Amino acid sequence: MVENRPFLTFLAHAVLILGVAFVALPVWIAFVASTHDQSTFLSGSMPMWPGDNIWETYGTILGTGAPVPGAPPLTLMLKNSLVMALIITVGKIAISILSAFAIVYFRFPGRVLIFCLIFVTLMLPVEVRIMPTFKVVADLGMLNSYAGLSIPLIASATATFLFRQFFLTIPEELVEAARIDGAGPMKFFRDMVLPLSQTNIAALFVILFIYGWNQYLWPMLITTDEKFYTVVMGIKRMSDVADSDPQWNFVMGSAMLAMLPPVLVVIFMQRLFVKGLVEQEK
Amino acid sequence: MQTKRTTFRSWWLPYLLVAPQLAITLVFFIWPAGQAVYQSFLREDPFGLSTTWVGLRNYIRLFDSAEYLASFETTVIFTVCTATLSMGLSLLLAVAVDRMIRTASVYTTLVVWPYAVAPAIAGILWWFMFNPSFGILTYVLEMVGYDWNHRLNGEDAMTLVVLASAWKQISYNFLFFVAGLQSIPMSLREAAAIDGAGPVKRFFTVVFPLLSPTTFFLLVVNINYTMFDTFSTIDASTAGGPGQATTILVYKVYEDGVKGLNLGSSAAQSVILMSIVIALTFIQFRFIERRVQY
Amino acid sequence: MAGIKLSAVKKIYPGAAEPAVKGVDLDIQDGEFVVLVGPSGCGKSTLLRMIAGLETVSDGEIAIGDKVVNQMEPAERDIAMVFQNYALYPHMSVRQNMSYGLKNRKMPKAEIARRIDEAAAVLEITPYLDRKPRALSGGQRQRVAMGRAIVRDPAAFLFDEPLSNLDAKLRLHMRGEIKQLHQRLKTTSVYVTHDQLEAMTLADRLVVLNHGRIEQVGRPLDLYRRPASTFVAGFLGAPAMNLIEAEVSGGALMLAGTALARGLQAEAGRVTAGIRPEALRLRPAPGGNFRLDYVEELGGSRIVHGHIGAQRIIAQTDLAQELSAEMHAELPLEELHLFHATEGHRLSMGVSQPAAADPQLVGA
Repeated sequence: MVENRPFLTFLAHAVLILGVAFVALPVWIAFVASTHDQSTFLSGSMPMWPGDNIWETYGTILGTGAPVPGAPPLTLMLKNSLVMALIITVGKIAISILSAFAIVYFRFPGRVLIFCLIFVTLMLPVEVRIMPTFKVVADLGMLNSYAGLSIPLIASATATFLFRQFFLTIPEELVEAARIDGAGPMKFFRDMVLPLSQTNIAALFVILFIYGWNQYLWPMLITTDEKFYTVVMGIKRMSDVADSDPQWNFVMGSAMLAMLPPVLVVIFMQRLFVKGLVEQEK
Repeated sequence: MQTKRTTFRSWWLPYLLVAPQLAITLVFFIWPAGQAVYQSFLREDPFGLSTTWVGLRNYIRLFDSAEYLASFETTVIFTVCTATLSMGLSLLLAVAVDRMIRTASVYTTLVVWPYAVAPAIAGILWWFMFNPSFGILTYVLEMVGYDWNHRLNGEDAMTLVVLASAWKQISYNFLFFVAGLQSIPMSLREAAAIDGAGPVKRFFTVVFPLLSPTTFFLLVVNINYTMFDTFSTIDASTAGGPGQATTILVYKVYEDGVKGLNLGSSAAQSVILMSIVIALTFIQFRFIERRVQY
Repeated sequence: MAGIKLSAVKKIYPGAAEPAVKGVDLDIQDGEFVVLVGPSGCGKSTLLRMIAGLETVSDGEIAIGDKVVNQMEPAERDIAMVFQNYALYPHMSVRQNMSYGLKNRKMPKAEIARRIDEAAAVLEITPYLDRKPRALSGGQRQRVAMGRAIVRDPAAFLFDEPLSNLDAKLRLHMRGEIKQLHQRLKTTSVYVTHDQLEAMTLADRLVVLNHGRIEQVGRPLDLYRRPASTFVAGFLGAPAMNLIEAEVSGGALMLAGTALARGLQAEAGRVTAGIRPEALRLRPAPGGNFRLDYVEELGGSRIVHGHIGAQRIIAQTDLAQELSAEMHAELPLEELHLFHATEGHRLSMGVSQPAAADPQLVGA
């Protein structure tokens, strides 16, 4: 701030408070909806303040499961989402760090070609090649499985680029010193590269976990068995039904629970999250 | 391409290290993309019994189809509105936070968390707020005399998906604008202040021009986001309707392919989209090269 | 401990216009401290890195002890290296940094601990053993880097501009420590620097490199007193030797119509004359050949900038020297160096000059 202008400061606070309110509004409404019972929605207007049905709604969702047809118990879907998000996150980090290590610390025939192939994946979002990819997964017999849910989403050019970028900033002399100290490539990887990449790995973990948890189209396509429904797509199924048979309190309660894990991750790991986000785009 | 001055020597280890990523890339990215290109030159008969080579006819048909051209237009409107709204709001918030010293981190946390909300859930939340029978925003609109119904009115539906998509993207744009503002040296603003420029003038003559690399970068990212990542938001709220009012290109690929089973046409659409992504990626990378020289 | 022998060593980088190292022969004795010195791009670092095994040898042979090491990994060569930017492992403590190479060689724990304690005591870094490198000052990091080399007890130490990142005062101090350390350990050392003062003070033997070739090898004072070429002459010594275009005629060195020195038995013709600033004798003389431009005070001495004819000349004088705008400049014949005007190599003058003065103190 260059000079002290109380009015501008006041205005800035006002803008921010309005902004925060705008950002929070949809979630507040969802929360409020989850605390009322079904009859509220039949009456034709939505209250602004929480009702007293909160324990019943969440108790039912987490206990016996919401009595909404077409959806498995929420706890099962949460578990599926967790498994899928973790496989995608760990898988992406693992294969990216290994290939980036190979590309930076070795010179081998085909290196540039391989780098280009990985680069091309940036340009092929799932949404664009959805049918043929679905067919490959179906042909491999991976429909309705955790493998099918996660493995096709594991290849990631951005994570590979991030690690490559980071490795290029590790001083040359560190490899040289390590080689003189008798470290081979994998020993160098384990003793130097992995510990030095710690923050980058953690930052990527946050971003990728959110990415994996929030997948929608892919699980919708390749799961027909309720056992493998993930929570984000499951809620959509619930809301389709709810439109004719309004059980919005359960749908919104489930949505609240589905948002909770990634939102908590962002709030409590904000520093890592910002780092991961900003560096990924460099 | 860059490597280290000193590299390790092994003829097999690097291949072993890249093998997992390469395998997944080839099987789930390159091969399907190739298939999409191949299929875009084929047509399957309605019963799926035979396929014939039709050359470019799938493409020609697309550009003759009013529906497809309308979807193009929808995409442009949707992209421009979402990017403008989201970036405008984010910039406003970022400039406000930039004035704060002690409270900046609190505000940042409060603005940033929707990044974690799934696009599909964002769609459901806004759909719920605009629910024609009991939605809170519908109620407010009714009070000012507007009869909202996104199930029947295409413009209402478009407004809905724009709001939901822009809301979801605010946090991302906000973070980059804040970072961009912080990278502008304080001394420049102080110099402008000494030169007699007030806060508003200072913003438009000094801060905003210096922010243009960030703005341009975000523009490319936002176009990319609205064209592809908003698929879930749309599917979970309007499902492309009413009619074709919110069917953007990527949604049409899905509709024609997965629902309509018109594989040839869907594949041709995929190929067109891929070329758009390739163009955007090149713009982005050229720009980033320039940014490094800054 | 071992000597190092380089035979016709070449380095050709793929795509480079000319080789970085163009056939170097050098025999480094066991226990010797050899300094490779030259301007940047002269190939000194490449040479060192080839000895270390960090660069492949394009042609020729490198032997450490009696083993040819061309094909060996750096770790198998029994060398230790100290880098310019220290290259300490940032996530490891000082102790872990020093022990890493020993652990990789499966040395018993007790032996590792003994060596670290010993080296830490010598380098006075014992209090910092459990700190991370980022908690240390530049000088302390440099000591740790040396400690990491010492604990290995290798056949040779390789130093790659180890003092360049330190400030001037610390550099002077560490230079002294490296010298003492070598006197104590007597380990064969190869030291690369672009700083001629560092080179002069540290070296048992000095190797001056230029454009991938050795210009001259010898004891520092020999090189200083009898530089084999204008390149060596201009490179060693500060302020640098005056190299002026002059003419030999009638046994005198003629410059701008006056004789700077007489009694030469050299062929008449154009030459490059080398004059150390401290060798020039000046005395005030109206109408003299030396015109004074300006004076820099160094405290203990002064540097006098002036010109003779059109050529700029520097003289270093003591404080007692009287100065005036016009002076007469002259120099004793034995202080004159003559070089070929175009090729730059040293020319004989047919006078006896003080060759190979002993650099060591008597009895030292």
